[in-house]
Amino acid sequence: MGALTDKYCIVGVGETPHMRPSNRTTLSMACEAVKKAMADAGLEPRDIDGMTSYQAGDSTTSNHIATSLGMRLNYSVDILGGGSSTEALIGNTIGLLEAGYCKTMVIFRSMNGRSGRRMGGQAPSGPVPPTRAAEDNQFMMPWGWTSPAQRFGMSAMRYLRDTGTTTRSLAEIAVAHRYHASLNPKAVMRHPITIEDHQNSRWVVKPLRLLDCCLETDVSACLIVTSRERAYDLRQPPVFIMGGTGRTMAPNAAWNYSRPEIHYVAGNYGRKRLFGMAGISQKDVNLISCYDAFTFTTLIQLEAYGFCGKGEAGEFVKGGRLQIDHELPSNLSGGHLSEGYTHGVSMVIENVRQLRHRADDACPGWAEGKHSYDRQAGCRQVKDARIAACLGWGTETMSSSAILRGISA
Amino acid sequence: MPGPIDYSKITITPDFDTVEWWMATKEHKYLVRQCKDCGHKWFPPFPACNTCNSMDLGWFETAGTGVLHSYIVVTQPILGAFVEAVPYVVGLIELDDCHEADGSLVRVGGVMLDDEEDVAIGLPVSVEYEQTNEANIVVPRWKISGTAENTWKFNE
Ligand SMILES: [Zn+2]
Repeated sequence: MGALTDKYCIVGVGETPHMRPSNRTTLSMACEAVKKAMADAGLEPRDIDGMTSYQAGDSTTSNHIATSLGMRLNYSVDILGGGSSTEALIGNTIGLLEAGYCKTMVIFRSMNGRSGRRMGGQAPSGPVPPTRAAEDNQFMMPWGWTSPAQRFGMSAMRYLRDTGTTTRSLAEIAVAHRYHASLNPKAVMRHPITIEDHQNSRWVVKPLRLLDCCLETDVSACLIVTSRERAYDLRQPPVFIMGGTGRTMAPNAAWNYSRPEIHYVAGNYGRKRLFGMAGISQKDVNLISCYDAFTFTTLIQLEAYGFCGKGEAGEFVKGGRLQIDHELPSNLSGGHLSEGYTHGVSMVIENVRQLRHRADDACPGWAEGKHSYDRQAGCRQVKDARIAACLGWGTETMSSSAILRGISA
Repeated sequence: MPGPIDYSKITITPDFDTVEWWMATKEHKYLVRQCKDCGHKWFPPFPACNTCNSMDLGWFETAGTGVLHSYIVVTQPILGAFVEAVPYVVGLIELDDCHEADGSLVRVGGVMLDDEEDVAIGLPVSVEYEQTNEANIVVPRWKISGTAENTWKFNE
């Protein structure tokens, strides 16, 4: 067990609707998300004295939110980063709270991920105008190898070759996450899909099709973390942080491609630390969020974090294993593939709601933790959800994670 | 064969660590970094040897040959420069002469001159140099150069 296991809790969550486009500033969206998370927790602006965020040079900063909402912060830091930042900042946050830098801390991401800056350099309207190839990009961009799909596609292709996996296994992930989105009123893409729909969708970059790729949306999403002593007085059942890792690297992290196996990803190096700190094993986990920038990133992390053996993920995901009411439900909100795009915060938010037993679904009593478990009626609450693993992805060589525990159910 | 790539839409900006590499492409040389103290080779040219931490570095001129380790087929352009190029294949090439006793190796990316149908993992490749439509920029590209056993092709 870790020294701080169960000592700090996620007490508030909130987000704006996923829009394409938002027609708003990242500041306006972030203020709304922070207000919703404070209301969710039963906190006031004066109760918040720490704030941290991550961004790609595409967002507002903590001082603007604090000014807008009338907070004076004792600690604030905004970092650069995309996927894998949420869980890393949870780690920062519990360390800061323990050290006394602040008492209650907001973690947020706000991005016009569709109408503003898009990943891979694409302009809102399509292919980019003239652009600079500097630093590492000198050895990728001139060969037309830039977007996340193009980068991770290289590892995905080799994985398919090395393991004999076919893209029908990738389809299983798209289908599972879409099914969960169909039970999530907030999700952008809610019509269920089949494996054949995946197989028939157009290529983006082989071996990845359109339905292997996440959405791009405009959104802000927010978590609030504080000590368990404070958490007991707040509005929601606390969700305890059992352990985690922050941007754990594989060797040669800035150039994945000269490693012996380009699909032996960073989670392999974080796995023992994560489960050791949490003091549990994979078998104790009731649900996961598994970063789905692409179906492949979910697939490969199942191996990396030890939910199946090396090279076995393609078989592991078959038969709907990642769907609700099956063995390892994944991305219950629909994830980035089908709910919307937040660079990871929304996946942690969904796990928090699941562990509170308060998934915001079609059940009239969800806010009081009353669920029917009737999927036909739109219930997406996992029965007996107690422990969730959040498996973040930055690149093949960088991954963050967290294990969360609830007290309800 | 990819369609035309418009290098006027990419401004390559060589820096302290990379300028010699880009100058060498004009002389049709494919360089990787090499440590003058321990002989370790790597790419891209990060400014220190990750084996002995020396910063006394030179360059190793590779034969410009390798084996295709993986590839992607880009069907949807992201960069303006590649709008006319799709579909094109980007290869990941394991260089023949950068293997070291400790298992260290060097893989580099590059546009393949071959069509998707002719590309398979495991095939030998060799480099060719192309003067781009930007006077100052010569880029390496790669081409299948022979046959091999146990190749693998994405057939979906
Ligand atoms: Zn050396």
